[in-house]
Amino acid sequence: MSASWVGGGVPTSPLSTSSLGVGTPTSPSAAPRQTPSQSVPQLAPMRTVGHGVPRIDAVERVTGQAGYTRDLRREGMLFARLLTSPHPHARIVSIDTSRAVALPGVRAIVSHFTHPDIVYSSGSIAGGAQYNDTAKDNTLHKRYMFGNPVRYVGEPVAAVAAVDRHAAEEAARLITVEYEELPFVLDVEEALAPGAPQIWPEGNIGLNGQNQPRPLGGRQGDPEAGFAAAHRILEGRYTTSFAQDAQLEPRSVLAEWEGDKLILHTPTQGISNCRHDNARDLGLEDHQVQVICHYMGGGFGDKNGSYYHDLIAATLARETSTPVKLEVTRKEDWLGTHGRWHTTQDLRVGFTNDGVVTAIQQRAYSGMGPFLRRSGGLSGIDAYACPNVDRQIYPVHTNRTVSGNMRAPSEPQGFFPIQSLMDDVAYAVGMDPVDFALRNMRRPTEQVRFTNYSLEECIARGAELFDWRNRWRPTPGADAGPIKRGAGFAFMMFRSGVGPSSAILRLDGTTGRCTLFVGVTDIGPGAKTTMALIAAEELGASLDQVDVVWGDTDRCPYSVGESGSRTTIMTGYAVVEAARDLKRQIAERGTPGTSEVLIASATPNPSTQGRQRLCFGAHFCEVEVDVQLGHVRVTKFVAVHESGRILNPLPARDQIRGAVLQGISMALKEDLLYDARNGQPLTAGYYGARHLTHLDAPQIEVEFIETDDGFGPFGAKTVGEAGIIHSPTAVGNAIYNAIGRRMKDLPITRARILEALA
Amino acid sequence: MKAFKNWNARSIAMAVDLARQARADGQSVSFAGGGTDLLQLVKDHIPNRPGQGEPDVLVSLKGIDGPSRIEMTTGGGVTIGALATLTAVSESLVVRDRFNAIAEAAAVVATPQIRNVGTVGGNLAQRPWCWYFRNGFPCYKAGGDRCFSAGGENQLHAIFGGGPSYIVHPSDLAPALVAFGATFRIAGSGGERTVSAPDFFVPPRTDAQHENVLADDEVLVGVDVPAPAAGTRSTYHKIMDREAWTHALSSAAVVMQMDGDVCRRASIVLGGVAPIPWRVPEAEALLAGQRVTPELARRVGEVAVTGARPLAKNAYKVPLTRGVVERTVLALASRA
Repeated sequence: MSASWVGGGVPTSPLSTSSLGVGTPTSPSAAPRQTPSQSVPQLAPMRTVGHGVPRIDAVERVTGQAGYTRDLRREGMLFARLLTSPHPHARIVSIDTSRAVALPGVRAIVSHFTHPDIVYSSGSIAGGAQYNDTAKDNTLHKRYMFGNPVRYVGEPVAAVAAVDRHAAEEAARLITVEYEELPFVLDVEEALAPGAPQIWPEGNIGLNGQNQPRPLGGRQGDPEAGFAAAHRILEGRYTTSFAQDAQLEPRSVLAEWEGDKLILHTPTQGISNCRHDNARDLGLEDHQVQVICHYMGGGFGDKNGSYYHDLIAATLARETSTPVKLEVTRKEDWLGTHGRWHTTQDLRVGFTNDGVVTAIQQRAYSGMGPFLRRSGGLSGIDAYACPNVDRQIYPVHTNRTVSGNMRAPSEPQGFFPIQSLMDDVAYAVGMDPVDFALRNMRRPTEQVRFTNYSLEECIARGAELFDWRNRWRPTPGADAGPIKRGAGFAFMMFRSGVGPSSAILRLDGTTGRCTLFVGVTDIGPGAKTTMALIAAEELGASLDQVDVVWGDTDRCPYSVGESGSRTTIMTGYAVVEAARDLKRQIAERGTPGTSEVLIASATPNPSTQGRQRLCFGAHFCEVEVDVQLGHVRVTKFVAVHESGRILNPLPARDQIRGAVLQGISMALKEDLLYDARNGQPLTAGYYGARHLTHLDAPQIEVEFIETDDGFGPFGAKTVGEAGIIHSPTAVGNAIYNAIGRRMKDLPITRARILEALA
Repeated sequence: MKAFKNWNARSIAMAVDLARQARADGQSVSFAGGGTDLLQLVKDHIPNRPGQGEPDVLVSLKGIDGPSRIEMTTGGGVTIGALATLTAVSESLVVRDRFNAIAEAAAVVATPQIRNVGTVGGNLAQRPWCWYFRNGFPCYKAGGDRCFSAGGENQLHAIFGGGPSYIVHPSDLAPALVAFGATFRIAGSGGERTVSAPDFFVPPRTDAQHENVLADDEVLVGVDVPAPAAGTRSTYHKIMDREAWTHALSSAAVVMQMDGDVCRRASIVLGGVAPIPWRVPEAEALLAGQRVTPELARRVGEVAVTGARPLAKNAYKVPLTRGVVERTVLALASRA
């Protein structure tokens, strides 16, 4: 069979002969096209992308054939378990392993005392600098595989490798650790008060890449003049809670050494980052580490890059010269990985009587736990056009568990406070919150241009679908009776930037099949399928003629990692470029014959030439609040998003729905409660943290406004994180509209509603 | 998880005997019904019996046939075997027809998966879900000498009958069975004994460590519910902080004997608010011989919570419980 189909032949797959399919594949021109910024163009349908395709690995996943890391076995493999700190802050005086070592089947025990020098990759560095190897080397706040002192409950203290799970767990319990307990602090403001327990010698404010305790944020315009020009000022204090990523699959790692090469099977969102992190931490070259992740059970951010579990498993495997699989319990996973940083925020907004915001001030504290796994930043204020802004955001160290990036890391807990306060401002000036947003939201300017702008269309379409004018109550809390309805609105804009990634395509002349090599792992959004769709589209092939090789650093080229909603945009664009390379080769040399193979590859690093590339969205939520029982029920939720061209509508809609649900759960349920007297976490796990169940999930209507701004693969933008950014705010604003009480603390529990109404 | 032995009993007598033998050999024993919670306790190294170590032996009751049955008695009551699953109870036509509150209570426990496996006996004898106990604190319930909730995080804890422990009883079936005047049959080394439902549950002032009268060598065998009087109707209303897989923040089992639109007699038993199923006799008395109006239901709700003594962080349970009682009483009386 020859490969005559490449370049726009007749599609042979039923999947691609949709009624919407056209004969010739459309492909974006090499140069970005000019797109009007104020209107939404009608997109011509494409051949393969955009038609709603089931995931190519759906059957393996739902029939149990997919091998997740925990399913892997090796002949003679050892099982490893952790011993973690029971104290929020303590110095380890000694570790006695004699009883554990004596247990039959125990092969190795590692701890701070056996391996004191292995720095766990990210160290403790603020503001995105964790992606910088130099900053990792220079930071004063090094985070070790096993630390001493331990600084949070759940921090690893030791690990055991044994012949089976029981022996490993029992041995871990037989280790006797002598601790000298140290004073601890859980609250971000208490951590900055004079005399607070010091988690680091440099104090409790997170250090930046230059080892300085500087706040994030900064000043724009003239905030003092802006407040002076205001007719009125509203202010408020808001708190948002810690939300664990809570992905279904807890971490597990299978580590095996072949000579001086380490093979790590580990659930990671980014095999390339994971390889680089582990190689540096273990003193290896990147090529000496192979990271494999074929299937994973979700990540939401806390599986990006490497984790200390990788280092511990690798160390035990090296000590024992045997493959080692490390497994953790749900509780260890909950406390030992990370979740969304909790915050305490003071906000002030100055505005004119006709509803123009003149100044915004923010003083915020992001609770990071003892290490800066990620930045602690907060977004939301930048969604407004107000030129006069004063923001100071302190990443604060506490002895709570570590915070890090979770699905839109800085956004939901940044948007909720400012958009709650802006909602108050709208009511204060007698404006519909939608009209107020249209007056004050950020738009492209001569100085800061966007690749396109569609927020108005999102808001208008959402208001229409939701019937905002009829559902929103001009007077909050106006309904009679114990069950009151209300409607809330929130909007967002979020990064969809372009950047480097790689892809390889191999066309086999004998079989006529194409193999796509991409370094994705698929944390849930269906990246494998998306990459295959993009290749098929650009090649004019059908989806079932493209095989995908993924999730293995030795077989796949560099990929950015599935974080920051970048995979579709960056790796997807590399697939487009690789397909173009393949088509060029075919044009030059003809299609490969039997026993001939063509290899094409691309590592594009596109640029928007200074323009901002953003996705947009508007959420409309209706709630019923039972003021007698404090119950909140979401009765309607409309999510309209512009995420460029939607390459696969099925998972794209599910991504928005899942993110909205996660946002509703954050708004109403989730927290990690600590006992202030002893620093112990009380609600780790699905039962205690009160995540939504299926019965709590309302129907969520999702609509996309599709555009093609000429960037990304066929104009695709961010989807995965977009839906969680403003959904908690829409819920909170709807509750205000229903009961006339501003709920400023997340989660908005039944207890808080009843207390507010008491 | 500590490795343990599993012994399958073929009869209750054999189960009791196996447990006695194991104990005589110095081993720690637990009876296992569905095991949905027991195995989690074992995995978490939380004692199933206060003051005892982790079980060396589980005596599994699953293979015993008799105690899983649900049967109408000749007098018009029902006998529910302690090994009946919660799903079986919720789907039993006899229970649904005559003892609706019991069926409704069984139907709102946890999740379908847990109800398919979890048993009546396990539900009634389960350990508390207080987060201190479940996180391994050395509290009364673990055999210790303190209640950590009293001065700590007590959002989910008792507003009635607390002290020195402030747990809330986690069973949904318990309030419904108390409201129907059930009796519990218990087997042990000394033979079988019967206790009334209210006497099965033990307030912390009597025994801060145990939630019920079961001795270490005893196992719950079944529940007998007497025939209801003519005109009896009942319901169970459970408030949770999500729609499934959690315990009651507050709940009410209400049984009313109606004569036309007049309530002759009422039982109101609260769940999720006290260390035992909490009966509110003053509220019940308000209903006797009365037509149930919205105003009366409101007063019943108010009287039901007059004795409430909330802790620092659970005051919301007072208006919540007032509302639950008011709504449940009114809805049940209005039911055709």
